[in-house]
Amino acid sequence: MSLIDSILAGFSLVGNFESFFALFIGVAIGTIAGAIPGMSATMAVALTLPFTFSMQPIIAILLLLGVYKGGIFGGCIPAILIKTPGTPASSATVLDGYPLAEKGQAGKALGMALWASCTADLISNLSLILFAGWLASFALNFGPPEFFTLMLFSLTIIAGVSGKSLLRGALSAMLGLLLATIGLDLIYGTNRFTLGNPNMMGGLNFIAVLIGLFAIPEVLSIVWDPKPHKGQTRSLGDNSVTFSEYKKSFKSIVRGSFIGVFLGSIPGIGAAPSAFLSYSEARRKSPNRENFGKGELEGVAASEAGNNGVAGATLIPLLALGVPGDVITAIIIGAFMVHGLQPGPMMFVMNVDIIYGLFIGLIVSSVFLFIIGSVAIRGFKYVADIPRGVLFPGVLILCVYGVFAVNNNIFDVGVMFVMGWVGFVMLRNDIPAAPFLIAFILGPLLEDNFRQAMLMSGSSPAILFRGPITWFFWGLIFITVIAIIRAGVQAAKNLKKRR
Amino acid sequence: MQNLHRQTLIGLFALLAGLFLMTVAIPNWVSSPSNVRNIILAPIFWPYTLSALTILIGLGLMITGFFSSENMTPEPADVPGGYKRLAIMAVVMVIYMFGLPRLGMVWTSMLAFLATAFLVRTSHPKTAVICALCVPLVLYVFFAHVATVAIPQGNFVRLP
Repeated sequence: MSLIDSILAGFSLVGNFESFFALFIGVAIGTIAGAIPGMSATMAVALTLPFTFSMQPIIAILLLLGVYKGGIFGGCIPAILIKTPGTPASSATVLDGYPLAEKGQAGKALGMALWASCTADLISNLSLILFAGWLASFALNFGPPEFFTLMLFSLTIIAGVSGKSLLRGALSAMLGLLLATIGLDLIYGTNRFTLGNPNMMGGLNFIAVLIGLFAIPEVLSIVWDPKPHKGQTRSLGDNSVTFSEYKKSFKSIVRGSFIGVFLGSIPGIGAAPSAFLSYSEARRKSPNRENFGKGELEGVAASEAGNNGVAGATLIPLLALGVPGDVITAIIIGAFMVHGLQPGPMMFVMNVDIIYGLFIGLIVSSVFLFIIGSVAIRGFKYVADIPRGVLFPGVLILCVYGVFAVNNNIFDVGVMFVMGWVGFVMLRNDIPAAPFLIAFILGPLLEDNFRQAMLMSGSSPAILFRGPITWFFWGLIFITVIAIIRAGVQAAKNLKKRR
Repeated sequence: MQNLHRQTLIGLFALLAGLFLMTVAIPNWVSSPSNVRNIILAPIFWPYTLSALTILIGLGLMITGFFSSENMTPEPADVPGGYKRLAIMAVVMVIYMFGLPRLGMVWTSMLAFLATAFLVRTSHPKTAVICALCVPLVLYVFFAHVATVAIPQGNFVRLP
C-alpha cells in the first residue's frame, strides 16, 4: 500500500462526525480532569477507558488520546492559578507561572502555556508520524529473542527512572511481573497461582489492576487525610499573550518540543523530567535568565513545551514496538488490546488504516486542544471549586461501574479494591506504581518471547545474543544499568556531603 | 528523602515475600507437567526466577537501609483518626462488594457514595446527597442502555 493509499484509508476511517466528536470530547474531558487538583491525566484516561468498550476501536482510541492530550495541558491551569500542579508534568510550570499570576498576569501565563502546548503538541505529532513508521519497518525484522531483549531494556529503564529509589522501583516492577504470572501457563496450560478459582485462570483483569492502582489510592488518600485543597485562585487579569511575546519565546518552545520528543520516545522517562530539562535549558540560554523563577513568560513556555512535546512521542514506541512509553500509554496499550488490536510493527502491516486514522486524529487534536484550552482557562474557577467530598466518592462509584463493565464480573471489582489497597500502601511508602503496571503489561510478553526463543533454540541461551539487534539492546541494558548504579552512588555521596 | 527504617522494612517484606513464594506458593500453587524435559521451559521457571530476583532486591533494600549514612527522616505525621477512617472505608468496600449482587449496583453505589462522602467529611452534605442519588443512576443509564452491560439489579427493587 502506497503512502497516499494509506492516508486515504486513514481518512475513510476517521472522516466522520463520530471520530472527531470523540476526539473533541476526549480533549475536553482531559483538560477538565487535568485542571482538577487531585485528579490526574492518568486517572482520567483510566476512568474513561470503560466507557469506550462499546465503541469502534478507532473512536475509542481517539477519545483516549484526546483525554491524554487534554490532561497533560489541563495540569498547567491549576499550576499557574493556585500553585498546585494538576499533573506531575506541570510541576515546572509552577516556577514561573504562579509568580506571573501573583503579578496579575495569570491570563498572559495561561495564554503562553496554551500556545506553547499546542506548538509542542503539533511538533510531537509530526515526529510521531515521521519516526513511528520507520521504526516499525525496522522492527519487522525482530523475532522472539530481539523482542525479549527490547522488553528487558524497557523494564530496566522504567524501573530505573521512576521514583526516588531505584530499588523500590525495581521491587515494584518485580511485583508487577509476579502478578502477571497468575493464570494459565502460556505453553502447557497448567494453573499458576489460580488457587482453583476459575476467575483467575485468564489472569487478573488489566483494567481492574490499573484502576485499582491509580484511582482507588487517591480515594483512600482523601479518606486518610480529608483536607480541602489549599491555594487561592488568582483572577486572570486583562492580559493576553501577544504575538511578539510568542515569537520571543519561540526558540525555547521549539527546543523544549524537541527535548520532549527525544525524551518521550525513550520508554519510561515521561513528561516531568522533560519539562524540567526544557525549563533549565531555556534558563541557560535566555538573556533574561535572572528573571526565571520570578515570573518569566519564557519559563512557562519552555516547561509547557517540554511536557507537551512528550505526548505524541510516547506513542512512537507504543505503535512501532508495542512498548508503552509511560504509564498513560500503558493504559492506552490496554485499550488497544481490549479492542482486539496488538500495537507493534505488525499493526503497520495489518491495520495501516487505523494507524493513519490515528495520525490524522492526532494532528486535529492540536487544533481542538487550542479551542478547548482557550475556553478552559476562563472556566477554571468552576472546575477548581468541585468539592473533594463529592468528587472522590463519585470517582469510587465510577471505578466500580467501569471495572464491572469489562467482563460483567464482580470478582474484578474485588481485584480492583485489593489493588487499591496495594497501591495505597505503595503510595505511602514511596514505592512507584508506574513500574508495577508497566511490568504487569510487559510481563507476559517478556516471558512469552523468552520461552519462544528457548523453544526455537532447543533451550540454548546463545539465541538471545544471535545478531546485531540483540547485541544493540544488550548494550543499551548494560549502559542503563551502569548509569543507574552510578547515579545511585553519586546520590549516596551527595547525601554524605550534606551531612 | 527516603526513610531508612522504611527502606529496611520494605526490604524485609520483599525478602519474606520472595521466600514465601519459593518455599510455599510455587510448590503448592503452580502445577508443572512431569514430562517437561527442560527446566527453562517449565511453568515454574519464571516464577522461581522472579522470586529469586525479589529476594535479591529485598536484600539490597535491607543493606542500603542498614548501612547508609543517610539521616533518619521522621515518619510521616499520622493524621488524627486516619487509621479509623481507613478501617471504616475497608468495611464500606467489603459491604459494597458483597452488596452488589444482593441489593443491586445502583442502590449499593448510592449507599457507598454517601458513606464515603461523610467519611471524608464533605463540606457540602446536600450536594453529596443529590450526587449520591444522581451519579449511580446516570451511570446505570449509560452502562445498561448505551453500553448494554448487564448491571446487577439485586433482589429487591429492579430498574427498567
